[in-house]
Formats: sequence, structure tokens, C-alpha cells
Amino acid sequence: MSAGLDRRALAVLPDGERRSAHDAAVFNLREKRDQAGRAEPDFERLREHARALKAHALDHLDLLLERFEENASRAGAVVHWAEDAPALNRIVHQLLESRGARRVVKSKSMLTEECGLNPYLESRGVEVVDTDLGERIVQLASEPPSHIIMPAIHRSREDIGALFHRELDVPPGETDPVRLTEAARRHLRSCFLGADAAITGANFAVAESGTLVVVTNEGNADLGMSLPGLHVACLGLEKLIPGLADLAVLLRLLARSATGQPISVYTSLVNGPRPGAELHIVLVDNGRTRLLADERHRRALGCIRCGACLNTCPVYRRAGGHAYGFAIPGPIGLVLAPALGGTEEQRGLPLASTLCGSCTAVCPVKIDLHEQLISWRASDVPRGLRERLLSRFAAACLSSPALYALAGLALRAAWPVLSRRWPGNPAGPWLASRELPTHPGASFRARWRDRVRGAGP
Amino acid sequence: MSARERILARVRAASHHGVPAPAPFVSGPGRGDFAAFAERLEAAGGEARGPFAASALGSRVAELCREWGAGARVLASEAALGWIGAGPWQPVPRETDPHSLADVSVAILCGALGVAENGAVGLDGREARPRALPILCERLILLLDTSRIVSDMNAALAGLPDGALAHHHFTFVAGPSKTADIEGMLVLGAHGPRALAVFGIHA
Amino acid sequence: MPELAAQRPSVALFIPCYVDQLAPEVGLATATVLERLGCEVGFDAGQTCCGQPFVTSGARREAVRLARAHVERFAGADAVVCPSASCVATVRRRYADLIGEARAWRLASRTFELGEFIVSRLGTSDVGACFPHRVALLESCHGLRELELGRASERLDPEPSRIGVTETLLRGVSGLELRPVSRRDECCGFGGAFSFGFPELSARIGRDKLRALSESGAEYVTGTDVSCLLHLEGLRAREGFGPRAIHLAEILASGAGR
Repeated sequence: MSAGLDRRALAVLPDGERRSAHDAAVFNLREKRDQAGRAEPDFERLREHARALKAHALDHLDLLLERFEENASRAGAVVHWAEDAPALNRIVHQLLESRGARRVVKSKSMLTEECGLNPYLESRGVEVVDTDLGERIVQLASEPPSHIIMPAIHRSREDIGALFHRELDVPPGETDPVRLTEAARRHLRSCFLGADAAITGANFAVAESGTLVVVTNEGNADLGMSLPGLHVACLGLEKLIPGLADLAVLLRLLARSATGQPISVYTSLVNGPRPGAELHIVLVDNGRTRLLADERHRRALGCIRCGACLNTCPVYRRAGGHAYGFAIPGPIGLVLAPALGGTEEQRGLPLASTLCGSCTAVCPVKIDLHEQLISWRASDVPRGLRERLLSRFAAACLSSPALYALAGLALRAAWPVLSRRWPGNPAGPWLASRELPTHPGASFRARWRDRVRGAGP
Repeated sequence: MSARERILARVRAASHHGVPAPAPFVSGPGRGDFAAFAERLEAAGGEARGPFAASALGSRVAELCREWGAGARVLASEAALGWIGAGPWQPVPRETDPHSLADVSVAILCGALGVAENGAVGLDGREARPRALPILCERLILLLDTSRIVSDMNAALAGLPDGALAHHHFTFVAGPSKTADIEGMLVLGAHGPRALAVFGIHA
Repeated sequence: MPELAAQRPSVALFIPCYVDQLAPEVGLATATVLERLGCEVGFDAGQTCCGQPFVTSGARREAVRLARAHVERFAGADAVVCPSASCVATVRRRYADLIGEARAWRLASRTFELGEFIVSRLGTSDVGACFPHRVALLESCHGLRELELGRASERLDPEPSRIGVTETLLRGVSGLELRPVSRRDECCGFGGAFSFGFPELSARIGRDKLRALSESGAEYVTGTDVSCLLHLEGLRAREGFGPRAIHLAEILASGAGR
């Protein structure tokens, strides 16, 4: 099922330079995270505090939502509630249409990726420009982002140069990141200045003050929030936190975990609309309440979308975000897919892991990611009949010493056959890239028996 | 039942109100001085100058504008003008359409506070008016009273100026705009200012 | 924790099913090392499998069944020693969830990976071994992150640098030169069923690991998990480069004392 990911990895990141460049660029973020964490003596205590505050917040989410709505409304924002992706898309479109907004600038929001907002709006005649540089690159290339923080990390400068030559009139053969960024700056500035509306996500929503928090390095969200007369902010319910003190802890962890910076360049606390402008906030469920009700798995809602788990994951770095077939890739994607994804393949994503546990070790809010995967495998991952029967059979063999010994004999007898490649060989996947060990000879227990009797080593 | 009611009902059913909040976070010892702040700002690609006595400020800021080869349009907020006096800059026009600020080469504003752990300056919505000014300008100068530097974000958010959240926004700015979206290579000046200089003031 | 007998600690060998069947020399080496250190080593031939593959694949019912059988099998043991960090991690970290009974916790507190038993329980880091070769250590994911045999690179707390038990033992082996490896604790890509369900990715991760090990200049790669070593050795045999895999127990058993 999720062997789809294995196959797609081959297409997304073909062997060779591109794959190792992707792996190196992403792992570099992990190394930066380590450096930043080591330089901050409070880091591990902040992580523990963040875990606890998120657990508390999720357990009081009803109160936080009500308080947030009240305070945000008092500040002049209009709060909407969307039960699912179609509802979000409808609400946003309605807001745009009723104000004649046809040109929209958008800053990064994984939630809107999840809900397919862009294609929905575009099919209804709204021009949506993703303004984060990485997001603009993938938008021009007609593909989804492949990383939460660095959407175009899978693309080389040559790719981007060619793309910008085609779309932004950059001279052919231009590959210097500084000049390419300059070209994007000019192009996007004109988009900002001509926009009718801005759509953003929100990293956090502070209940006690009704504040939205929007974080970027580029300043694109801020430009969007300061020029057009309409700002629509979309966020998942799980972004709610109680107060500013909680925000402080999470901000100290977010950028350090994501890119190794002590803080992102722009951290905007937004309270109500600009004078003379409008702010609409859309709170989105889309499966989050179902996950919240799942005692074992609700911890995953603590995610602050830093991407640290992606950066450390040996699988993500060699598969690339597009191989996952789900809006969010990497370990957190595997953990959220069974709850927020719809397809059978997405429900099978928890299998796509070696369970090395590195993700759990870097998560700033201490989500037990790899343990969540094991738990999903036991509860929701679809297992075919053949697999279930095989499992029972294997367990039966292992339950009786006599059957186990018999199975061992059979394994030895079959060894020469297993070591060759033929269609249907259960050892096939192993043999595709590895040799089997040489014939094992007598088992340990047989040799132990001999040894004890004094007849062996 | 509206969508709001249905959603809240589901959330209520799953919110047991049993998990306590953790005890307030207590930061370890940290530095709140300008030197520490400057170190972090420079690591983020910004420039720290001073700290200067208030009387010296105007000429120092003018000096930087010259170094930057600042174009014709240099705007300073009212509060900033209070510190730097007259010089090669203009006050921000009242009731300005933010779209008309696209050609501002340097904006000069006052920071409300500074954060030593990360080199960020807090910009109050009352000061950054229009909101677009500090992001549309090519380069940004922020004036910061060094006595308003705190050690970390916990201290910063616990000590926001009165009314800070009552004026649309409060933004922490930590360096010039940047991106590393192309092969992870750092480039300054993605959408916002290409350069940021913070002048410390010994008030 | 029972006090170990002052004279001859009694050890029950826990030999993982795949070691029993595919790498018996590792089991023998384990016994040899422990005996050389003065332990009385026993092996209950009624043991089969701790159930790890069923735990990780989500086959909970089968996992519980095998876990119960394992707990019963080793109920009377003072100390259970196993040459596999992942199997020990299953008993210590997963059994409590599968079997909520006191004897599961008791067994967990008495089950050790070979290296940690020697260093922490027997209190020695020199087993009298001689292995004059350049060796790279494959840090086991389970060993590091579940058993804390060493310090995982993700850990940032300002704790004084602690050398892991496996490395400590290797440094005590006469003639052995331990070579540092870049990305020392990145996963090797085996991941149990992952190596069969996601063979392309498993091989990619493994080949990168093999390259890193090769670049260290080591002749041998060693570790606490046969499964990872078989994966790397299988890649080495196919690719034609990289250090040969040898289990920690085999290194410790070599050189027949000094």
C-alpha cells in the first residue's frame, strides 16, 4: 500500500546528485537545530514546558476557542467556523467574491494546502499568488510544497533559473540565488501592491488576548497584512494556546527547531484589523475534533509545524516530500495521515518508517512520534487478509518450540531457493539490493546442545 | 445547529479539563545588555550601532543614510524625529495610502523594546504607521533605548508596553528580511528591507 | 534489582530468533564472553521469539501472546542477557503496554543488552579481548534512543559528555582502533519490515550508511544488532565496498584472553 511511497521516491528523487543534494540540504537544518539548541541552556526545559502546555491547551480547547473568539471579535475581527475543507474553501471564496477581490496574495499555510484552497479559488476565477519564495517557486512549477519550511528544497538553482526564465523574464542561464531572489522580489512586490486581499495562515492563536501570531523570515505575510483592505487568516483549531506566556515558550522553540535561528525575522502579533481594513479569521476542523477525541493520538495536535522531524528523518531526506501523497510529509505527516487523510494509502503511511526514533528526539513539543506510528499500526493501518494470515501463521510457529524448530529446518532447507531471484520469492525485496547471508548451517540451539554435551566449540 | 455549534460540541466532548497547566516557566540567567543584543542582531544579518547619547544620534543616523547611499525618500516617524531632529529625512505623511510608500529607501522608527536572546526589536502598531512602512522600505533603521532591552521572549511578552495589543499589531523584527529557499543559500532582502540597523540610545 | 551472586552471576541467555537461525556464532560468542567473565550461563531451549516484529507491525494479539510466553519462560531468571538492543528494548519498553502485570516489569528490570550488562552490572570494561583492526561502530537506534546505551546526538541538555557502553567496551579491546563515523547515529535503514515493505528506501539509507562507514577507514563495522549488521553486510556483498560486519559479541570473544 504505502509501497507507493517507495516507488514514488524513485521518481521524485532519482539516484545520484539530486538525491544527495536534497539529503544534505535538509540534514543541514537538523545540524543547525542542534547548534541552536546547544547554545540555549533553557532548551530542554522549554521542550518539557511546551509539551505540558500543549497537553493542557488541548484538554481545554473548548474554553480557549470561546475565549479567543470573544477577544478577537472585540478587537474587530470577524470569526468564522469551518467544519471541513469544502467549508473553508467556500467561506474564503465568499469573502473574496463579496468584496470583488480577484487578485490575492497568500503566505504559507499548510492548512490551505491540506484543504486544496488554491485550486478551488483558481477554478472560480481568483488569481492566487503564493508569496513565500519557496511556495512561489513550486506554484510556478505547478507542484505542491515538498517541505513545511523550505517548500522548494527539492529544486536546484538551475531548475529555478529555468523556471524564472520562463515565468519571470529572467535572462536564460541565470542561476545565482541572489539575482533570482531579486527577480522574485520585484515580481512579488508588484503582486503585493496590486492585491485586493491577503490570505495567511497563523502559527498560533492566543486565547487570552484574541491575538493571531504569524511568523515568517521573508516578511511576505506582513506585506500582505499591510497593503490590501481584506485579510483572511485560516488556522486549524489546534493552534489555540492560552496566553502570551505560552507563546513566549513556543516562539523560543519554533525557529530554533526549524532552521536553527533563535527567532524568525518577522513575528507578528495581530489584534484586529488595520484601521480602515477588515480581518476575517476562519477556524478549521477538518478532522481535528476526531483526532482530539482519540486519547492515544491527540498528542499529534500539539505540532507547531517546525519541520524538525522532517529534517532528521532518514526516510524523508531520501524520498522527498512529494513521495508521500499527503499534504504534510515526514514523520508528522505519517502520524496525522490516518486521522486527517482520507484514502486507504494515506491510512497506511505509518508503515513508512524504520522507527529509528530520531523524530521523537527532536520534536520541540515532545510528541512521541515513532510511538504514535506503532500505535497507529496496531489500530488503524489497513492490513490485507494475506498479511493477517501470514502474521498469525508466523506467531503460531513461534509459539511452540517444536513448531519453531520445524520452521527453522524448513528455512534452512529452502535457503538455496530463497537466495535466488524468482518472481514471488518472499525474499525478493531483500534481494533487490542486498545479498542474503550465506547459509547459516546449524542453529545456535543445535550448537549449544553440542557444546553442553562437550562435542562443540 | 450552526457549524460553530457542531464544532464546539465535538471539542467540548473531548475537552476533559483535567490536565493542569504547567507552573510558569522560569528562564535561566540571561543577559539583557546591548552588547548581547547586538551580537544576536549581527548574527541575523542586521547591524547594531552605538549605543549613543541622545545628542549624538541625529548625526550618526544621517551618517548611515549617507553610507547607504539612501535615495531621495527617507521617512522618519514622529517619535523618531523626536530623537534625531532635523536631517536628510521627512516625516511620514499623515493618512498615507500604504501603496504610495513603495519607493521609500529608508524608514526610521522607534523600537518599543529589544530582546537580547535573539536580537529582535518590538515594533508597536502605534509607531509603525502605516503598517507597511517598515516592510516596504528598502532599508530600515530602528532606534532603541537600551534600557528597554530584556533578556528573552518570556520577559518580552510579559512586559509588553501598555496597550501594545490594542493597535492592530505588535511585530518583533529580528534582522533584515531573508530567505534560504533556493538550495538553502541565505539571501537578504526577500520581500522586506534588505538591511536593518538598530541604533542603541543611552537615554 | 536482585543482588548478583558475588562469585558466579547466573545468566539466562536470551538469543533472538533470527540470531538463533541466521547468526548462531553471535550467540556462541555471547556465551563465551560471559563465561570468560565468570558467569554461569544457561540457555533455555524453550524460548522462541520476544515478539518484536509483531509489536512493530501492529499485530497486537500475536505480540501479546508471544510476550506472555517469553515472560513465563524467563520468570525465574536473575539476569537475562541478550546480544540485541532491539529485542531488549521490546522487553523493557513495550512489554508493560502489552502485559500490564508485575512479572513483566520484573523481567524488564532484569533484561540487559550484552554490553550494558558487562559494563553496568559486571562492572568491567576490559573483557580480555584482542582484535587488532580498525573498527567503526554502528550505533543502534533502539540501543541509543530506547535503552540509552549511549548519548543520542539529538540530546542537547548540558550533560557532561558520556561515552556509551558499547564504545567503552570497544575501547577496552586490545589493538582495536575505533574510527569516528559521520552522522554516527543516523539509522542504517533496516527497520524490520521496512526493509521488505520499502526496499528502495531501505537500500538508499543503507548505502549512504555504508559509504559513511567506508569513509571512516574502518575494516569492520560492529554493533549490538545482528539485523542491522546483516542488512549492511548484504549491501556490502552486493555493492562491493565497505567494512565487513561483525557483531560486538564476536569482537569481545576474540583473542582468548591476555
